[in-house]
Amino acid sequence: MSPTRDAEGAGETPPRARVPALIVTHADLAQALVRAAERVVGTIEDVTLLSNEGLSRADLEEAIETSVEGWKHGGLLLTDFWGGSCHTCGATAARRHGEVVIVTGINLPLLLDYLYNRDRLSVGDLAERLQTKGRDSIRVQRGVPA
Amino acid sequence: MSWALHRIDDRLIHGQVLVAWGSRLNPARIWVVDDGVAASDWERELFRDAAPGIEVRVAGVGEAAGAHAGEAGAPGAAFLLVRDLDTARRLAEAGARVEEWNVGGLHYAPGKEKVNDYVYLDARDRDAARALLLAGVRLSVQDVPASRAITLATLDPALAT
Repeated sequence: MSPTRDAEGAGETPPRARVPALIVTHADLAQALVRAAERVVGTIEDVTLLSNEGLSRADLEEAIETSVEGWKHGGLLLTDFWGGSCHTCGATAARRHGEVVIVTGINLPLLLDYLYNRDRLSVGDLAERLQTKGRDSIRVQRGVPA
Repeated sequence: MSWALHRIDDRLIHGQVLVAWGSRLNPARIWVVDDGVAASDWERELFRDAAPGIEVRVAGVGEAAGAHAGEAGAPGAAFLLVRDLDTARRLAEAGARVEEWNVGGLHYAPGKEKVNDYVYLDARDRDAARALLLAGVRLSVQDVPASRAITLATLDPALAT
């Protein structure tokens, strides 16, 4: 079952263009996150992946810009951490492209929440939601003393 | 205290600097010395916000050279980041006394030759490196604290000629 088909069943809400996403991370974290998410939801489409491996600022900016320039109504850049090159290069590349919003600190719950809400929320609302969902997903479970 | 790291890295502020070097040396301030970034309101703002809990100062080469000796006596540790060897050379010419540069990342671009996985140099880079070496400046290649430092001249025999 794919998150796409679930969203179509929502019925009442007017059709909305899917919010596209580009995941930019160190090494192959983006691929690994998507592979993990696919174990949960099945095949994932319309998500682009990029690694900063071996890229200078200029090349990383260009690679990000190439990915987002086709987005007609904006989209989301999901990056691994605030202040990293994926984030700062993304901010520079996205600046020239309308409603492209960056959410840093991607984790698996955040990615899954994106997949289930990308067909019903605006770019801005989805970004706010993911910030909350990503944060709320981090919890501490303590063991009970024997 | 102050100067704890002078680094040549074309990504300027990024993960290795904030997390790896930052955790080791706990900088209170990071100077991003780059004429291009200093001339852009947008990029200045971007880098100022990039390191939560650390004060980021963006300066052009002239301004940074003028402030360099004063910063050396300031409380807390400080990092200075430039994007290429030529900026390091110009900083020296403008009067900043830097004894050692950490060469942390000069990534591939057309016309550059591989020195190691994260250092690629062209003729202009090598000219700047030779000028710095001639002035007695040490160029130490090391991406993160956990890896071994090695001199640039050892890695790149072309610098000896």
